[in-house]
Amino acid sequence: MQGNRMLVAELANETIRAISGSMVAYDGAVTFKNAGVGGGDGFKAAFKRKMTGESLSLMDVTGSGTVYFAVDAQDITILELANDTLHVEASQLLALVGQLRTDVKFTGLRGATSGQGLFTTTVTGTGTIAVLSAGGPIIALEVAPQYPLVVDPDAFVAFHGQLNQTFVTDVTWRSAVGGGNGEAFSLRFDGQGIVYIQPEER
Amino acid sequence: MSIQIHNPGTLPVNDNIPGNDYAFCVDLAGTPWFTSKGAMIAYYGNVAFEPLSRTNLTAMVASQFSSPLYADDWVVAQGQGKLILGDRGYNINSFDLDDGNLTIRASNLLAFEPGLSLKQSIVPGFLTLLGTGKFLASSNGPVMFAEPPLRVDPQALVGWADCPSPSHHFDAAWMHSFLSVVGGFFGMDSDEERQFDFTGAGTVLVQSSEKVLDDGHVYRHIESQTVQLSQASLLQLHRSIGARIQT
Repeated sequence: MQGNRMLVAELANETIRAISGSMVAYDGAVTFKNAGVGGGDGFKAAFKRKMTGESLSLMDVTGSGTVYFAVDAQDITILELANDTLHVEASQLLALVGQLRTDVKFTGLRGATSGQGLFTTTVTGTGTIAVLSAGGPIIALEVAPQYPLVVDPDAFVAFHGQLNQTFVTDVTWRSAVGGGNGEAFSLRFDGQGIVYIQPEER
Repeated sequence: MSIQIHNPGTLPVNDNIPGNDYAFCVDLAGTPWFTSKGAMIAYYGNVAFEPLSRTNLTAMVASQFSSPLYADDWVVAQGQGKLILGDRGYNINSFDLDDGNLTIRASNLLAFEPGLSLKQSIVPGFLTLLGTGKFLASSNGPVMFAEPPLRVDPQALVGWADCPSPSHHFDAAWMHSFLSVVGGFFGMDSDEERQFDFTGAGTVLVQSSEKVLDDGHVYRHIESQTVQLSQASLLQLHRSIGARIQT
């Protein structure tokens, strides 16, 4: 990491997978290869992705050297995953290293108005994930059975843990975000886990 | 995982999220808050948001929120919980008013306690808060506090406290050329020659950016002013706007 808005990857004959177009500079013997349809996860994931509109275009960055990644000067946070699953908005995923595979999961009737899509990207396995946060550093919020959390879908970035995600369409939330460009749904998380949000609404 | 994980117990009480100038946590404990629509990004607890026209606190709203023009942009948040607010990735700060008055750009005001009452400023796009209580304001970059006498670029102005409303100031050299060029009327759009002039005692809040994103408030203010115009003036306005749209 360099500052909070640039991800620096030191590669020693290794591979990092990153969102296409996120490389801003590199030094050394490094090759960039489009991971192919499905972000390198085979045909099934690609097919799902095509069907679902959850767009995720990854590239394999392989070799030895230093590679710099950044997207729109958004804040970058590194998350470690140990045999776990992270649900993340495809637009907020920057890079992955390790034994991780990505997939697409149906999440219900979310974002019908915001175009966020009804699907979310999951990253499963053990490794390191870099996620993006617009408008400032990411905020990690714990959810436990005694304190559920309600989140604006436009500020949602990722979650992991044993969480049940539901879509609340109650009147009171709708009045809080307003008509027109506001999001009529809110996301409610129950269970045990961590939810990541960003300060800016997409 | 290196980042700090918050829960309702560890979230700050009416302060910025630690290490994050762009998000703010409001502790809702019985007393309601007025909050701007869309500022909410998440909340814990049992919280209800009600439009100003459909709340059970009608008397409070009527006495504290004296601005029909902005009533649609605000809700009353009631209940018990922690609210997290964010605004376009702008810096968010809380300010305390103690029997004071402060005028602020409407799109930069995010929330305030009902100890304060809200009025529309005469300056288009600005709101005035009077009384005692806390309010939250956003700014594009950190806020700088300055004292009059001072001239400020209108786009960098966040608000002002205690001092008289500003007047327009036009650069002398520009004024000279304006007067000498007959019909040079359309030259006045470059904006650098026009400033707000503050005099008297008080504090002026300036942000470190000239970017003003939300002009909807200014528009509505101007539109509401047009009710004072006669039919002939309206036609004239219509023509001059039409001419500007075409160019």
